[in-house]
Amino acid sequence: MNKIQLKNTLPNVFIHRDDMVSDIWKQDVEFEKGRIYLVEANSGTGKSSLCSYIYGYRHDYQGQILFDGEDIRGYSVSKWTNIRQCHFALLWQELRMFPELTAMENVEIKNKLTGFQSQEQILQWFEMLGITDKINANLGRMSFGQQQRVALIRALCQPFDFLFVDEPISHLDDANSEIMGRIMIAEAQKQGAAIITTSIGKHINLNYDQVFKL
Amino acid sequence: MNLVWKLLRQHISIPQFMGFFFANLVGVVIILLGVQFYQDYQALDSEDSFMKADYLIVNKRIGAMSSLIGKENTFTASEIDELNEEAFVEHLGAFTPSSYSVRAQFDVDGFVNFSTDMFFESVPDQFVDVKSDDWDYHVGEKEIPIILPKNYLDLYNFGYAQGKGLPKLSEGILGAMKLKVQINGNGNNDTFSGRIVGFSSRLNTILVPEKFMNWANQQYASQDAPKEPTRLIMEVNNPADDRITSYLQDRGYETDEDKLDASKTTFVLRVIVSIVMVVGVVISMLSFYILMLSVFLLVQKNSSKLENLLLIGYSPGRVALPYQLLTVGLNVLVLVLAVVIMLMVRGVYLDMFENFFPDLEIPGILPSLGVGCVLLFIVSIFNIIAVRNKVMSIWNRKD
Repeated sequence: MNKIQLKNTLPNVFIHRDDMVSDIWKQDVEFEKGRIYLVEANSGTGKSSLCSYIYGYRHDYQGQILFDGEDIRGYSVSKWTNIRQCHFALLWQELRMFPELTAMENVEIKNKLTGFQSQEQILQWFEMLGITDKINANLGRMSFGQQQRVALIRALCQPFDFLFVDEPISHLDDANSEIMGRIMIAEAQKQGAAIITTSIGKHINLNYDQVFKL
Repeated sequence: MNLVWKLLRQHISIPQFMGFFFANLVGVVIILLGVQFYQDYQALDSEDSFMKADYLIVNKRIGAMSSLIGKENTFTASEIDELNEEAFVEHLGAFTPSSYSVRAQFDVDGFVNFSTDMFFESVPDQFVDVKSDDWDYHVGEKEIPIILPKNYLDLYNFGYAQGKGLPKLSEGILGAMKLKVQINGNGNNDTFSGRIVGFSSRLNTILVPEKFMNWANQQYASQDAPKEPTRLIMEVNNPADDRITSYLQDRGYETDEDKLDASKTTFVLRVIVSIVMVVGVVISMLSFYILMLSVFLLVQKNSSKLENLLLIGYSPGRVALPYQLLTVGLNVLVLVLAVVIMLMVRGVYLDMFENFFPDLEIPGILPSLGVGCVLLFIVSIFNIIAVRNKVMSIWNRKD
């Protein structure tokens, strides 16, 4: 997958708003593989909606979203499953982790599906992010900031063309944000992938190719 | 799969699944036992015709008046057709009497020596309750297979032989003996050898194969001999049917009342078995409902986990699989246990059957096993589809 296009896209909930000023909604926008994007947004401007439309689990929008020129509305269940396993990685704002499992199990449940990352690589990330001691701790007992770091590791356990990170550092200090940014860039470069990051204020310092105001 | 199972087994309610398990077990055991008991009972049925009660023998009542005015007690063709049209009649056959004289001599090394005038009758082969390979006749053969009523043997053994101090005879011994049968009529006189191939409880007459009877009546009967039958045999679908009794009374026909009673017993037994099986089916359906409710509740309680699994790239099929395996596994376990219980119960009642009927040929358990497997298959398919649909509704975010 090389290109995501939004053509005149607008969430249904915004249909009756005529004061919309946005670089993305009701515009023609392209995200290309290999580049780094920042989507800045205020609360309630549809940032998470954007992620869920592109990730295929919500369809309450007008206009078109195209992957490599193909409208995604007609995609089958198996096609979406394939996209989620092999093309798009997403770090949700609400994380969507499993508090019943340990940190390592949360990562493994994804990596066993894709078989993409080595155990050494995963352990190395745990160490870089300073949560090695939490590997076997129940995720439910960890702070949100620690969970965010585990969620990033899980998101990287798959091949991808686009990495979406929805407010990845909302609960992290600057040092950890920095490390997270480095890991993301390294992995994206290795795969020639794009990074699309969103933020409502604090954002990772990356070399953004393009910045959108939502 | 382990991690997925570790996640999805959360909220499994053991009491709910136990409830389903035992309810379904009771239901399936009842169904299997019903099928198996009916099967075993039918074997009993064909073994001893006292249970086979849906054959009725009909004749015209012989009263003082009919003898005086010389009224015929034979059935005319139109009377037979009329009876055949009735809804309660499955099959109808006529007794054909011999229109020639028969003399039989029975000699066992001077031990027992009978000689008697007698008669033959025949009915279509489908009404004969003695199953024997020897029950066949080809024109030209000098040996005639004969079936005697069972109570003739009883009369001899418990009445005649007892009183005269003669040896008692078993069916087997009689089967090995030969009868000298002399037939004459229409100017012909021939000697045949008769062989007793069995004893009938259903047919209270001296029976020869219909093929022999047809040939012998042509050969030995005088032209003016009556051709119409005096007795009919009918197979009925429900002997307890009131219409049978009223029909027979209206026309002055007679049948064996005892047989009607036995028929009613059999019919009632059949109805009871059917009712019990329906109860089993209802219990099974209710337990299936419990299982579906439990699974739906489980899916509902774990819906956020299921949704997250779908979002991190698990396919709906893979997410549904653990619950599908769980339900199918439970069903298989229920079936296996139900078959074991069914075999145990069957062991008990078969022992009793064997006391009554030592020669009973015990049928296999294939029919009940087949019914069990078909049930398992249907219920499992429903379970698999229902779980799959539930997961798809999460995929489509319908809940």
